[in-house]
Amino acid sequence: MMETLLIAIVATPGVIFLALSLLWLAGWTPSERFVARLTSAGFGLITLGTAWLSWLIFATGAVSVHVSLGQWFHAGDYQFPLTILADRLSLPMVAMTAVLGGIAASFSVRYVHRDRGFFQFFLLLNLFAFGALTAFTAGSIDLLIGGWEIVGVTSVLLIAFFGERPEPARNAVRVFANYRIADVGILLASFVLHHGGSTLFTLLLPGEWPDQTSRLHGPEVMLAGFLMLMAASGKSSQGPFAGWLPRAMEGPTPSSSIFYGAVSIHLGAYLLLRFEPVIQAAPLVAMSTVAIGLLTALMATAANRVATDVKTSLAFASMTQLGLIFAEIGMGFPRLALLHVVGHAVVRTLQLLRAPSMLHDHHRMHAAAGGELGATGKLLHALPAGLRLWIYRFGLERGFLDAWLDRLVVLPVVRLAAVIGWSPFDSRGKA
Amino acid sequence: MFRLDSLALVSMISFAILWAVTVASAPRRDREGTGRWELICLLAGTLLAYAAADIWVFLAGWALTVWPYFRGDRPGPRLAFAAGAVPLTIGAALMTMPDFAPVAFAALILAVLLRKGIFPLHFWTLNAFEQFRLPALGLILNSHLGGYLLIRFVIPQFPALSAEWLPVVSWLALGTAVLMAVAGLAEAQPRRILGLLWLSQGSFVLAGLATKTEEGITGALIHWWVVAFAMTGLISIYGSLEARTTSVRTRSGFQGLGAHAPRLAVFFGVCGFALVGLPGTLGFVAEDLLFHGALKAHEVLGVALPLATALNAITMLRLFVTLFMGKRGIHVPSIPDALPGERAAFTVVVVLLVFGGLAPALLIALRTDSAVGLARLLTGQ
Repeated sequence: MMETLLIAIVATPGVIFLALSLLWLAGWTPSERFVARLTSAGFGLITLGTAWLSWLIFATGAVSVHVSLGQWFHAGDYQFPLTILADRLSLPMVAMTAVLGGIAASFSVRYVHRDRGFFQFFLLLNLFAFGALTAFTAGSIDLLIGGWEIVGVTSVLLIAFFGERPEPARNAVRVFANYRIADVGILLASFVLHHGGSTLFTLLLPGEWPDQTSRLHGPEVMLAGFLMLMAASGKSSQGPFAGWLPRAMEGPTPSSSIFYGAVSIHLGAYLLLRFEPVIQAAPLVAMSTVAIGLLTALMATAANRVATDVKTSLAFASMTQLGLIFAEIGMGFPRLALLHVVGHAVVRTLQLLRAPSMLHDHHRMHAAAGGELGATGKLLHALPAGLRLWIYRFGLERGFLDAWLDRLVVLPVVRLAAVIGWSPFDSRGKA
Repeated sequence: MFRLDSLALVSMISFAILWAVTVASAPRRDREGTGRWELICLLAGTLLAYAAADIWVFLAGWALTVWPYFRGDRPGPRLAFAAGAVPLTIGAALMTMPDFAPVAFAALILAVLLRKGIFPLHFWTLNAFEQFRLPALGLILNSHLGGYLLIRFVIPQFPALSAEWLPVVSWLALGTAVLMAVAGLAEAQPRRILGLLWLSQGSFVLAGLATKTEEGITGALIHWWVVAFAMTGLISIYGSLEARTTSVRTRSGFQGLGAHAPRLAVFFGVCGFALVGLPGTLGFVAEDLLFHGALKAHEVLGVALPLATALNAITMLRLFVTLFMGKRGIHVPSIPDALPGERAAFTVVVVLLVFGGLAPALLIALRTDSAVGLARLLTGQ
């Protein structure tokens, strides 16, 4: 029973996506009402299913549910196992995706009403939910990568949702570049994990979360840890990958809320939580996780305070909290980090969904407080003027991260690309 | 003279599907007049080469595929085609002489490298992408006759030399994959971007064959299909757009064609994402196998392939947003979305890439015999 329920929870948005896509390719574009109701029903079913599954796990005293669906494919010594699981870590994430995804879908019905991309939006929302649920319930690193990449691609396509303007399209490419480079980390980490003795991380890390242990030792554990930290930083906009999150705010607000307030942004933290024993087994990786998290939190909180629009401000606020979550994971507090993830996702989703009404909300609060809303930034005013100015500049330039990336990575690569692209038979300009 | 085993039959059926897709979606100007002869020569020559048990028959098929191009002012590709046929002929002539085995092997490998456009012999490919009719060019490249020559004749005929020298080929292929992926990042012309994507992704096939592992070789053979179908889709869709409006070739910046051709945009997106290994497509399966095989064979090989894929994915998305996003220029007339013939053709490609990705076991089974055989030959077991 629990196994069937878990399969149904993961498969529902995937089936809806596939059915709607095929019907559209066949030439039928369903009405807004149909698409909205089908999507809402899907999220409703996932929410009920998750609640039911949680109750069954609680009632039977089981710690986790594992479902093996055999192998997706195999060749030589390599096999791709189709195993999904619901445990103390994945269930809260699944519940978060179901509830917050459903709320974002309901909000979107009005937000993208009569927009040319209404159908495309809901199609991508279902695909995203499928990817996120696959990643959170994956019983193997390979399946996790599958879900992880689906989330990345849907995220980018929704950033480019208002594609008639050049900026969303440009930012989508920039975000995608960050994702893809960081994803090399998880691909290589998967090999190190396979090489370390097992295809399934549930076997690789024996025991139940969060009391699992790592089988990797020595250089392998450090390599796997750093590769995962790289992938997680890319997905959660931390460290050198911190520049993409404000650019991702070009998408519709409901998708920003579910992607960058709730689910997608926490996928990196989920990866670190899932493989937390690997992180803790390599002290240098653990220390780096803390350092990256705290430095990003400091940079993001400075940038948050000088952001001139509400969505950018919330993006930096998300980044700050993710930095703290990374630090908690690095310091070895996985339960606290999980609690922080869920709490942050709920609050941030609400803030992002309310973002279009921010001025209205502010005026209401101002009036309710009798025109006496407390001033902020008192602590900063205690600092010397020169330092305050520097922090202001640092925040305004978003920690100079994009400028450094452009100067040290993008420009040299583009120059190198132009040299490599030279051809003796080049007829460019003659066409 | 002919040998119709699973490798030949699967390759022939795949190519027949590619040919049908290309012809069904090709603009009329590309399938009439001389364009018709190019397509007929390509079909006949490629099927002949696939069915060949004798290298001279293979050479005849190879020559037939490039024969229509020995006309006009196309110096780069013509030179490459001629240069490819010369070492192939020398290799074929010396193949049966044991004393000249190393020379024959070297000549055949040179033919493979030229046909596959492996760095530094890749220039002709970009030139061909700029100047040729796209439907025929897609077919000539996606027949992968260079790879087929290696699998069918070179490795079985020279297993020891192959085992010794394929790593060198692999390094060259790897260099091509990474360098062309980097070059793609700064390229602005859609045709050249398609060429760079083909060069980079296509060289994975050779890199995979050289891993000498069963999963790596299976991945390479599956990736062969992925590149063939996805690139055929991308080239055909781009060709359809060029036939609708010349602005895609003459103007830079965002074209905004997605608003008028959403289905073409979706077909293009699916083919592109399949090419760079989006989960749920056959590309993901191929690259998963390739990466694991490559990492098992050599760490650098295994690191470089995901890196090249990542860069190609960025280039692919950049091409997609350039063509389909942005505001459509006022000088661009209203263009039709996918016409019935195009829709049917591209649906076939998408179905193969997506359903092949969702249920890949059958397609892998079709390649297993060849992969096991090649792995045994290369490892001497």
